[in-house]
Amino acid sequence: MREDLFTFLVGGEAGHGVKKAGSVAAGIFARMGRGVFQMDDYQSLIRGGHNFSVVSTAAGEISSHYLKANLTVALDARSYQMHRKHLAEDGIVVFNADAVEGGEGVGLPMTAEARKFSHPELILGVGAVAVLACGLGWDKDKTGQFVGEAYPGGAESNIAYAGRIYELAESKLKGRFELTAGERRRPVLSGNQAIGLGALAAGLDAYFAYPMTPASPLLHFLAERAEEFGLAVMHPESEVAVANMAIGAAAAGARAMVGTSGGGLALMDEALSLAGMTETPLLCILGSRPGPATGVPTYTEQGDLKFALHKGHGEFPRIVAAPGSIGEAGRLAAELLDLVWRFQTPAIMITEKHLAESRMTVELDFKEAPWAEAVRPQEGEYRRYRDTEDGISPVLFPPSGQVIKWNSYEHDEQGITTEKAEIIARMHDKRFRKGESLVRQMKELRTVNVYGQSGPLIFTYGSSTMSVLEALRVLKTDARVVQPIYLEPLPVWDLEKYLGSAPIVVEQSRTGQFASLLREKLDMEPATVIRRYDGRPFEPDKLARKIEEVI
Amino acid sequence: MTDELTTAAEVTWCPGCGNFGILNAFKKAIRRLEKTGLGRDRIFMTAGIGQHAKIFDYANISGFYGLHGRSMATAQGVKLANPDLTVIDFVGDGDAMGEGLEHLLFAAKRNADITVVMHDNGIYALTTGQRSPLSEKGYRGPSTPRGSEEEPFNPLTLLLEAGATFVARSYSGNIDHLAEMMVQAVQHPGFSFLDVLQVCVTFNNKYDLYNEKVEIIDGIPDSREKAAALARKTNTLPIGIFYRAERPPHHEALYGSHHPLNKRLSRKNRLEKIRQVLRSM
Repeated sequence: MREDLFTFLVGGEAGHGVKKAGSVAAGIFARMGRGVFQMDDYQSLIRGGHNFSVVSTAAGEISSHYLKANLTVALDARSYQMHRKHLAEDGIVVFNADAVEGGEGVGLPMTAEARKFSHPELILGVGAVAVLACGLGWDKDKTGQFVGEAYPGGAESNIAYAGRIYELAESKLKGRFELTAGERRRPVLSGNQAIGLGALAAGLDAYFAYPMTPASPLLHFLAERAEEFGLAVMHPESEVAVANMAIGAAAAGARAMVGTSGGGLALMDEALSLAGMTETPLLCILGSRPGPATGVPTYTEQGDLKFALHKGHGEFPRIVAAPGSIGEAGRLAAELLDLVWRFQTPAIMITEKHLAESRMTVELDFKEAPWAEAVRPQEGEYRRYRDTEDGISPVLFPPSGQVIKWNSYEHDEQGITTEKAEIIARMHDKRFRKGESLVRQMKELRTVNVYGQSGPLIFTYGSSTMSVLEALRVLKTDARVVQPIYLEPLPVWDLEKYLGSAPIVVEQSRTGQFASLLREKLDMEPATVIRRYDGRPFEPDKLARKIEEVI
Repeated sequence: MTDELTTAAEVTWCPGCGNFGILNAFKKAIRRLEKTGLGRDRIFMTAGIGQHAKIFDYANISGFYGLHGRSMATAQGVKLANPDLTVIDFVGDGDAMGEGLEHLLFAAKRNADITVVMHDNGIYALTTGQRSPLSEKGYRGPSTPRGSEEEPFNPLTLLLEAGATFVARSYSGNIDHLAEMMVQAVQHPGFSFLDVLQVCVTFNNKYDLYNEKVEIIDGIPDSREKAAALARKTNTLPIGIFYRAERPPHHEALYGSHHPLNKRLSRKNRLEKIRQVLRSM
């Protein structure tokens, strides 16, 4: 276990403000300049059930939550039963004595106190924050002031309630945890928020989405800021409408993005193919969750890799990439929006619930972010699908004195439908020359992350990267972690040195889709494939033990 | 016919096809609209997939040839990105009332400021004459050799109920009337639906029926109920404007006078705003 680690876990029913309490706790640690990782485990319901938010913090870097908590606050009996045994060595459970009979740890009458205020359920989370503040040694006034800022709605009641809980906890908890300050205060972002900001930095003009977990928070984030950023945000009747609207918006000149999960992406399939044929720039954010079908909406999995790689009927160049951290999600969203505009073809960015909805402290600076622009035409007669050397046809937007025709049928350079054999083959070639130009451009980009200099070779991608890096911090072992950011085209030029190697592969799928991709494209035969597919992200200490077993 | 509104594409509609009338009326409408100050450079056409959609290849106008049933969504995306464009979506009755019905009804519901011109020949012509959502019960096509077992939709009452603020019908055999309906539909702020009775000479030839029953409406009904009653008539087939109402167009209701392209924030302003957002998180 890491020495500088501290984990706070709050559990309760949906409606108790569990996630909010976790976020407020994350904010407290971030203010101390510490690294923070927050993972919310919640069910697909609005009231009842069992939710918990776990916030792990370290003075140094941290890229995963831990389940063994130093301080657990159980707002209901189920949380107490589930989490009381998952404590760190000197960990303690504070529980709602009105919900738990008997109980070991510190029992506080949290419900009885809450009933003195309006919204007695919602306010329970405030109590959890007060318990944490007390444990960190804050005085009561500071705690009250902080709660007022963090919970501005009904601030007075919240402050009063926090004060009562603080008083009740004070004798048993005050100053029990001593946390050192970290280096500097960094923002705490979810993957979805990072993606939204990255796309905005690269010039996003329009976002279309139909609600689907875990991508919905991206829709909410952008809708909330639409006016501020001059963004068009539209939630239409279906994912089919989403993708076809976004394509229309792009043809009119707007940098458009869509977001969904696997089921929604399935509905967008034909439109992705349309973007390929019409050479329309379209960035699609895929937030994966366990499938098949409706699957497990609020949990995590990497079961959509091959699905994403093969989206859209017919053959056309496409980009598929997956960020390995929340910060990288922001950087990559900007980069992909730029690439789809330069190369006029669709891209899918794969995230998973674990990356999309978890929150962590990030170093994000968009000063270097690209500004997505398409090649504009020279003087003279305009042809939408001009057959150029690099395969990239300049783009012109209406209104224009020239006629601009985008066509879903195979077409000639003007965009008029054709069935002529010679033109069909030529247009296929043109589009794939564009794919080759894309590869040339990608060679200038960071397409693979490599962590570590020596030791066993581990291949991973997407959110599993965060888990692997944290597991290695637990192990304190040297290893080389290779994380391809781009999965299509797979950057074989950066991966050549690993051809034929036998790495440990870590991924969250039943069948080992990532390992299969490595076999196919890099002639690798993984020594071991460590998989998890129960909807839960890897826990760093358990993953560390698994890695230890095979090295 | 060759003129500046016609492309060099080879026309592959059957001789006598109602689509010729629609194409000619479209060109006529463009010329009339130009006289009112709407330049053809600001007209953007979209089309679904079917015989109707070949109009995209033949009319020398900018646009997007979309997917079967989905062009109504594409058209709305164009309008949302650039509200200065006049978007005319050509759809077939199989295209728009079958695979794409959701987009049509929602475009009407939200009053998307586009004009949908539905080439209504009551069948799927490009795929050799199968029944469409508007085929009469008993229609025999290759997919319903014993006759269609379903009742057809009434497209006009359906669109009225969905909230369309402009509902009209015309006939491909009356080019002047059709051109005038297109002009009025385009000029209407908000969602316009124009049902065009169109003859399919090969699979569903109704020339005689239409020439006998089509009748121009006198005036415009002053309520949705009266419009629907008129739309249900079968002894005659009224053509003209059934309903016209005012409601804010969708893009205005969504973001007021904002224009996503013309009022785009500069990179510098965006980065400054992003820095502010990051500071608050």
